[in-house]
Amino acid sequence: MNAALRPRNLVAIVAAAMLASALSAYNIARYAPATGFPAWPFDPASMSLDQIIIAYGLLPRAAVALLCGACLGLSGALLQRLLRNPIAEPATLGISSGAQLAIVAATLFAPGLVDGGRQGVAFGGAALAALIVVGLSWRRGLDPIAMIIGGLLVGITASAISAALVLAQGEYLMSLVSWNGGALSQQDWSTSRNLLLQFFAGALAAAVLTKPLTILGLDDSSARRLGLSVNLIRFAVIAIAVWLAASVAAAVGLVSFIGLAAPAFARLAGVRKASSVLLLAPVYGALLLLLADGVVQLLSSSTGETFPTGAVTALLGGPLLLFLLPRLKLRELPRQTPTIDRVKIRRPWRVVAILFAVVPLLVFLMLTTGRAPAGWVFSVGDVFHELLPWRWPRLAAAGAAGALLAVAGTIMQRITGNAMASPEVMGVSGGAGVGFAAVLYLVEAPGPLEFLIGSIAGSLTVLAIVVGYVLRKSLPPDRLLLAGIAISSFATAILSLLIATGNPRSWQILIWISGTALSVTAEQSVVLMVLAGLVLAGGLSCLRWLEILPLGEAVPSALGMSARRTRIMLFCLAAVATAAASMLVGPLSFVGLMAPHMARMAGFRRAPSHLVAACLIGTILMLVADWAARTVTFPYEQPLGIFASLIGAPYLLWLIGREKP
Amino acid sequence: MHRLQMFPDYSLRSAETLNQRSIITRRSLLAMSAGFILSPRLSYAAEGPRLAAIDWAMLETAFALGAHIVAGTEIKQFRRTSVEPALPADFIDLGLRGSPNFELLRFIQPDFILSSPFYAQHGAKFSQIAPVISLPFYVAGQPPFEKTLDAVRNLGAKLALADRAEQVVAEAERNLARYRAELGRKAARPIYVINIGDGRHFRAFGADSLFGNIMVRLGLTNAWQGATEFSFAAPVPIERLAEMPEAKIVIVSEIPVEARSTLRSSVLWNALPAVRQNRVLQLENVGPYGGVIAGMRFARLLHKALTEAPE
Repeated sequence: MNAALRPRNLVAIVAAAMLASALSAYNIARYAPATGFPAWPFDPASMSLDQIIIAYGLLPRAAVALLCGACLGLSGALLQRLLRNPIAEPATLGISSGAQLAIVAATLFAPGLVDGGRQGVAFGGAALAALIVVGLSWRRGLDPIAMIIGGLLVGITASAISAALVLAQGEYLMSLVSWNGGALSQQDWSTSRNLLLQFFAGALAAAVLTKPLTILGLDDSSARRLGLSVNLIRFAVIAIAVWLAASVAAAVGLVSFIGLAAPAFARLAGVRKASSVLLLAPVYGALLLLLADGVVQLLSSSTGETFPTGAVTALLGGPLLLFLLPRLKLRELPRQTPTIDRVKIRRPWRVVAILFAVVPLLVFLMLTTGRAPAGWVFSVGDVFHELLPWRWPRLAAAGAAGALLAVAGTIMQRITGNAMASPEVMGVSGGAGVGFAAVLYLVEAPGPLEFLIGSIAGSLTVLAIVVGYVLRKSLPPDRLLLAGIAISSFATAILSLLIATGNPRSWQILIWISGTALSVTAEQSVVLMVLAGLVLAGGLSCLRWLEILPLGEAVPSALGMSARRTRIMLFCLAAVATAAASMLVGPLSFVGLMAPHMARMAGFRRAPSHLVAACLIGTILMLVADWAARTVTFPYEQPLGIFASLIGAPYLLWLIGREKP
Repeated sequence: MHRLQMFPDYSLRSAETLNQRSIITRRSLLAMSAGFILSPRLSYAAEGPRLAAIDWAMLETAFALGAHIVAGTEIKQFRRTSVEPALPADFIDLGLRGSPNFELLRFIQPDFILSSPFYAQHGAKFSQIAPVISLPFYVAGQPPFEKTLDAVRNLGAKLALADRAEQVVAEAERNLARYRAELGRKAARPIYVINIGDGRHFRAFGADSLFGNIMVRLGLTNAWQGATEFSFAAPVPIERLAEMPEAKIVIVSEIPVEARSTLRSSVLWNALPAVRQNRVLQLENVGPYGGVIAGMRFARLLHKALTEAPE
């Protein structure tokens, strides 16, 4: 029997379709005019306004929802298949961020280009991002893991550049308006028509490639034996995925989670065959987005609040995926030795000493140099003493935050044995943000301590959920990552929705997200430094466990250690560190991902030197970030978190690209 | 932390002359290193304490009072979106509103920092540099224009400009009354006051916005009955403009370039009763979160546009 016609799958599709169309019909019926539904062919001149709203507003909106969902579903399915990675989608490959950066840059520097040429601009940006990612992993035979890491970093860099560009123009508010992409409302059929053509072009190309792609899914060598040009097929598949994602980005902006959820739902419904997943992912994507948009329209009519659908899909998709995750039947990824482990430093502690010596040098340089309207100023003597109280607390706090995030990241990467695990990716930073927001809404006139407690509670909650999955099912790393990303996206979605309501509290959430070190006081920075020291000491006291845990579940149990208790303790340490640091740098810094990764790539492999080196690298990254944030676009001070990723991500990209296979 | 005096001659010359001199020396060092000319008595500025504004509404209030204001935040953006008051070329940009440049603020060393509850989280840091005057403008559910007039009086009293403050308020009231009287019959139709966000979305100004409040003062009916909080996003789909078919549409501020052609070719936009029947008016840029100057600029532009419009 054809896999697509399996009863469970059929039931799922029919149920989703019925629900989605019922919701759409209800939303349309609310406008149903006394003059009846619009008659085909549509002629605006002879229609009442209600009829026009149905014919040119609501119907094309439903069509756009279906088409965008289909595009994203297919794009995600293609990428997941190609990369043998269930978390691959346009966002994790930097494609969506590339499209966004192109649109932002064009809006600022060539606005004429965006008016009408939006599609081309978005595709250019998306293609460039994909090209960089492919280029970087080319020498390693387009190794899937290298590709995902490269894609994520390209995405971070592109988003950071977008935000920095916007802020340097003094347009503080626009940065968040561009966040709120993904609104689906329409005013005519032009977008639907374009999307339809774009989808069919992509689907046709994908259909041609289905067979080679299926073989490619097995492994490279069998594909080569069958005489396939592996790289050519990969290139073609990526081009199709980019095409589809860019079409959506240009048409409606960012719609998250559909590309990730659609293929996952298809597999959940029992679809196994690669070609069937490819066939059904667009169907699931289309229905999912139509359903989400129906809910959004229903909400906006009953509450008066209007939210962009793109932000809401993340809200729906996150928990749903998390709920279904334990039942998700994923094929175990072929275990590959991460190539980053091949470098090894012979005398790690000597390098650590050098790193340690760099820190005071940097601190001195950064405390003395700054900018004024007339130009660069090197301040000594009295002026230095005047400026010191303004410069040292934020610099110290930034350094401490870097150390905290680095330790958190190292702990998480070592425990999970996953190079992508980090407070940012696993949703711990996002959890801190939600905790922060909860305090903002629930506590009367909260102070820094209340915010810190709220953030720690948020981080711990997220980690508890993630760890709950790990321990209950002893999930493999990729599933742990998927749970983390689902939660991360959920937390981000909550924050975006709170910002979209636009009251004075959202202003404060926005300030938190952009991660400025400005409001930090001298006392707070001392507290942060002490905390950084304590967390590092805590990590160092667990060295034996950090060394053994990455080897897998079996080893620690065999040694008679309680892996469960140890893990919980270490995760708590990571949660506290993340919450404290996130108060200062927001959720977007990615220092917790970068610093341990950089240390590992530089060759620090054993737990003690890895932990200390990562901690120092994190500190240095944030010191430089704080200084750059204060000087580069003077007098406009850039968010600390954004600058951290602007410094770290390109370096990491260069390192990945340079590495020999 | 000590506070540096701007005009030591006027201040109390008591026992601490020596200390004061050292303060002045330190200040000149600071100023020189920042590339400022000392004693910046700028041509446009009035006498009195030097002010730096974090909040835009406060900046406008200080300007309306003719106070000696030298610096403000996001000046690039302010010049473009608010237009009035025209800021002098050497007006100092303090950086972003959400994260103002404290070092620069320290260099400038104002006598007062003008803020609002929006920036409360920086309050402690501001007061290390200079005393802070913080006044509320936008409080959920309260009419903002009344608050801008209160702010004029309040700041006037604090800066010893009470007479000037009364003049500003009286002039505003007089103009509003005149506009209201002249509008008369032109005020019959309800009005949607909107910003265009993109080709499909707009920002609606309800009764609790500055524009909505001014409309009430002009005797106009706001067609947007929904509550507005001061959202910076433009979240409302265009079809909602059809809910009150007899209304006029007033677009405040220029339409973003990337939305222009979308709007021109949009079936829905062109089908709106107001668009079909040519009842759309366009005003120049006005800052929606401004103070008394923005409020009066909106009143003046709206009055002019409505008077010149055919119906």
